[in-house]
Amino acid sequence: MNDFISQALLKPLELLGHQVLVVLPNMLAMGIILLGGCFTAWALGFFIERLLRVIGFDHLCDRLGINAALLRGGVKTDPSRLVGRSLYWTVIVLASIAALGALNLAPINQFAQSLLAYVPHLVTAAVILLAGYFLSNFISRAVLIAAVNAGLPPARLIAACSRWGLQILAGAMAMEQLGIAQHIVVVGFGITLGGVVLAGAIAFGLGATDLAKQFLERRLAPRSKSSTADDLHHW
Amino acid sequence: MSTSLTPLTAQTEARLQEIGSADILVGIPSYNNRDTVEHVVRAVSVGLAKYFPEHRAVLVNSDGGSSDGTPALVARTAVDFQRLFIGDQQSVLHRIVTPYHGIPGKGSAFRTIFEIARRLQVRACAVVDADLRSISPEWVELLLRPILEEGYDYVAPYYLRHKYDGTITNSLAYPLTRALYGQRIRQPIGGEFGFSGALATHYLDQHVWESEVARFGIDIWMTTEAIASGARVCQSFLGAKIHNPKDPASDLSAMLTQVMGALFASMEQHESVWSRQQESQPVPLFGFPYEVGIEPVHVNVAQMVSYYRQGLADLEPIWLQILADDTFDHLRNLQGTAVGDCRIPDELWVRVIYDAAATYRKRLMPREHLLKALTPLYLGRTASFVQATQGLTSTEAEEKVEALCQTFERMKPYLFEHWNPQALQSVRPVLLRHTAATTTAAGGVHE
Repeated sequence: MNDFISQALLKPLELLGHQVLVVLPNMLAMGIILLGGCFTAWALGFFIERLLRVIGFDHLCDRLGINAALLRGGVKTDPSRLVGRSLYWTVIVLASIAALGALNLAPINQFAQSLLAYVPHLVTAAVILLAGYFLSNFISRAVLIAAVNAGLPPARLIAACSRWGLQILAGAMAMEQLGIAQHIVVVGFGITLGGVVLAGAIAFGLGATDLAKQFLERRLAPRSKSSTADDLHHW
Repeated sequence: MSTSLTPLTAQTEARLQEIGSADILVGIPSYNNRDTVEHVVRAVSVGLAKYFPEHRAVLVNSDGGSSDGTPALVARTAVDFQRLFIGDQQSVLHRIVTPYHGIPGKGSAFRTIFEIARRLQVRACAVVDADLRSISPEWVELLLRPILEEGYDYVAPYYLRHKYDGTITNSLAYPLTRALYGQRIRQPIGGEFGFSGALATHYLDQHVWESEVARFGIDIWMTTEAIASGARVCQSFLGAKIHNPKDPASDLSAMLTQVMGALFASMEQHESVWSRQQESQPVPLFGFPYEVGIEPVHVNVAQMVSYYRQGLADLEPIWLQILADDTFDHLRNLQGTAVGDCRIPDELWVRVIYDAAATYRKRLMPREHLLKALTPLYLGRTASFVQATQGLTSTEAEEKVEALCQTFERMKPYLFEHWNPQALQSVRPVLLRHTAATTTAAGGVHE
């Protein structure tokens, strides 16, 4: 009976207690890292946000048109807070990964390592998307103004095409960076671009030359200047 | 103050060594002006020989890389002084033909001319365009004598022009310069100027040679810089200005951008000067004014209105960023009117320009976008001016320009309000005196 109690009940309990004693310091370490991470994240986010406000970061973004771009994208938070919150969540994620690593469990360690290895790709993709967004806004506005000044009736269409073309390109590059359906993205982008070029070529050369000509003349030709040109000297 | 030298070619340096110093310099910026440059060089040579025979004079051609042989033509153009009854030419006219460095444009060409003037320590300079057909030897005297004998630092031209010739001048450059700096210089972007050697050195020392000033912004910049620096300014009556048609490829939008960019940049730089200026004063005019026949100018109003309306439809988000809400609402109210009734009144145009200047200063959007987006608005205003002056004589049309100028002056407090609220505090006493009058006058816009 004593053997039974010792083998069947106490042994597992002893083993469990031993395991708990092994894991407990790690759990404690995880808790401390999480708490420290949360505090660091809050403090860093708070101070960086304040610092950016003091140095006039919001005003600078306003001048550069970033605020307007954020508003257009539905983001109503001001840039200083955005940077502060981004920093906060970055530290939280890093602290969580470090806390999980403190448990020293093989599957969790493996997961944490692969997550850390993915972070540079995530950052690169985010930078590509952001740069693509701002660049597309800048270029589409320049295209719109130039097209209106040239008197092209579909000015807005041309500007929208330039914006979406750049944003799709940036999206494809970001997805490739993240390793999501790499081949599909590249092939899809190639097919789309090739299709547009082929359609244009067929329209011009084979299918409906006259129709394409009339359509393009109607849609793209600037208002006739030769017949009613003036000799106004603006200078 | 900078004392860095503008780079010159080795040949030019050698010529400067040979010449040493001079009293007078006449500069001719050129680019593919084979058809007209010979006439311009002759007129300048005769003018110098006839009116300034006792002075050491230099003619400088600053060329932008012409491919039609313009510089060679300048170098070999000869004048038969005997046939012009000029026998007492006392000094030889030196010629310097040189390419210029820097951003391609008229401003960079002028920079080289200014540098040569500084090296030769000249007392008086003049610049004339190489595409002029109506230049006569008298222009040289009229541009230089006020500097040499009357103690002026800057001579602006005064031309006879058709009422539709020089619309950027009439609707923007003249009224805005006059309202800001208080000097009634009728042709602030005329192209032909006289100035002292000291002013040429002042121009060189400004750090503007990588901006719009290096291109077509040079003319308005020279004028505003002269006034703001406290130079004594005057005008000389030169008669009619007839020049070769501009390059068809030259883009109105680019020209407007360069002139407005230079004007707004000057406003930023000289805020302390114009913010204290309350009223405008006439500027002395030299020469003998007379009437000449001017060729009629055909204008396509419908096309300009069409450009304006497309701008209103397509550039709405951009104009909303540039203009105050009230200003944009009034522009939008013109949308439904017929072509003949689509008119931008003076008050509304002044608001547009003052709003644009304030937005330029605040950098609420890329400046190049802002300036280029104003082209359809300018065309709309030009169409309005043409419609308002159809059937009027040049004198009556000039009265309309005068009315616009007065509106620019009267509404200057509006500019203060939008330009810089802090500046408003410092000029509040002035504003209080003017606000009542402005509110009454601008009331028509709201009604």
